[in-house]
Amino acid sequence: MEDSNMNDMRLTERRVGQAEAKISARDCQVWYGDNHAIKDVNVDIDDKAVTAFIGPSGCGKSTFLRCLNRMNDTIDIARVEGEITLDGEDIYDRRVDPVQLRAKVGMVFQKPNPFPKSIYDNVAYGPRIHGLAKDKAELDAIVENSLKKAALWKEVKDRLTAPGTGLSGGQQQRLCIARAIATSPEVLLMDEPCSALDPIATAQVEELIDELRAGFSVVIVTHSMQQAARVSQKTAFFHLGELVEFGDTGQIFTNPKDPRTESYITGRIG
Amino acid sequence: MINQEHIVSGFDRDLESIQALIMKMGGLVEESIVKSAQALETRDEELARSVRAADRTIDALEEQVNEEAARILALRQPTASDLRTVLSVFRVSANLERIGDYSKNIAKRSSVVVQMQPITGTGPALRRMAGAVELMLKDVLDAYIQRDADLALEVRARDQEVDQMYSALFREYLTHMMEDPRNITHCMHLHFIAKNIERMGDHVTSIAEQVIYLVTGELPDEDRPKGDRTPFEKGM
Repeated sequence: MEDSNMNDMRLTERRVGQAEAKISARDCQVWYGDNHAIKDVNVDIDDKAVTAFIGPSGCGKSTFLRCLNRMNDTIDIARVEGEITLDGEDIYDRRVDPVQLRAKVGMVFQKPNPFPKSIYDNVAYGPRIHGLAKDKAELDAIVENSLKKAALWKEVKDRLTAPGTGLSGGQQQRLCIARAIATSPEVLLMDEPCSALDPIATAQVEELIDELRAGFSVVIVTHSMQQAARVSQKTAFFHLGELVEFGDTGQIFTNPKDPRTESYITGRIG
Repeated sequence: MINQEHIVSGFDRDLESIQALIMKMGGLVEESIVKSAQALETRDEELARSVRAADRTIDALEEQVNEEAARILALRQPTASDLRTVLSVFRVSANLERIGDYSKNIAKRSSVVVQMQPITGTGPALRRMAGAVELMLKDVLDAYIQRDADLALEVRARDQEVDQMYSALFREYLTHMMEDPRNITHCMHLHFIAKNIERMGDHVTSIAEQVIYLVTGELPDEDRPKGDRTPFEKGM
């Protein structure tokens, strides 16, 4: 049984390499002032896989996601302890420039937030400030490539100078994804990327996430458990600042080990 | 876990209703086993006919269970133990339906058997065997509704006894047939009845395995004790 499964690509593609962890967190703690928001989180996030963070509101999943590219640095009262490494390097090391880090660890937010600029400039913004293109031709190539990867190129290639804010919600979100991947990040963090989108746009973004997995390590925070089940290979359940359970998505949704996970994913009162 | 209620109470009602249908089906199948065995032993043709008629209700219930379970899958997208409940309902209903069919087949054969000269000593053994399976079914349905994996494991192990009873009957019928070829028709029917009861035991075992999957999330290992050695016997 196991052997015959191994030969079918449609089944094996779900599996992710257990060996390489892109991001590792060890005893991660976050305080907002006196509020202990994240408690002793240990997790290894796989490369070239989608990891979903689920949990009730206020459980710390977004807070932890924001630790992974030091977005919490922008909050004065936030304090992060423990170790978070990207490819084995401590991202909280004093020598690490947070701006450079965020080019490697891109982020997409809940509400599409394109800059009030043209579609082209939205995508070209990152490569420009990081000096990733030698000339206009190279920049054009980056923009085209990013829009193609974000599955938006066909829809916008004839109106690259039109304002990004004029696109539909789903297109705007894919534009933000194109903008995030234009700096060739290695990790893509997504905080509720579909919660402001209709079901069709959501399906398009989910299809995109699945395609992006080939080149990136994707971490997605979502309130929709069905979405976590659909797009991710690994799922982490957070509750009251703790990482309660982390495992293969199939296992979490068919046979969770922790009763708190079971209560949450089956929609029972925990 | 299972006593905890869903936030959406309609989900609880849906899950309860499909399990109630399973219990109803189980009750009818138990009754069918008891009656078909009784019809055979007391040579009651009327009772045998009622068993055959009642099988239609069991079949209709299976259809209803599957429709309801498919509806829950589509509308509620169950996960974890809820998902396992729905999956187990599909399988258990199929097992119960098969047991019902075997029972109906016993009733059919008993209508033929009653017209033959009884062979001494064969009646009570079949009834005992049917009684053992009926008790296994009752216990496994209890294990199902109470989410009792230990009881399910125990029922699963008990199938060995049914297999042994079948082996003994197999040899007994063989002896009768060798003694007098005029017994062959009768003994062939009785043998098929014994085989039907043995297969019922296998379906009860399969339900027991579903209960274990439902409770633990994992199916038990394959190394269940088996008591039927007849496939390996060359005869006498």
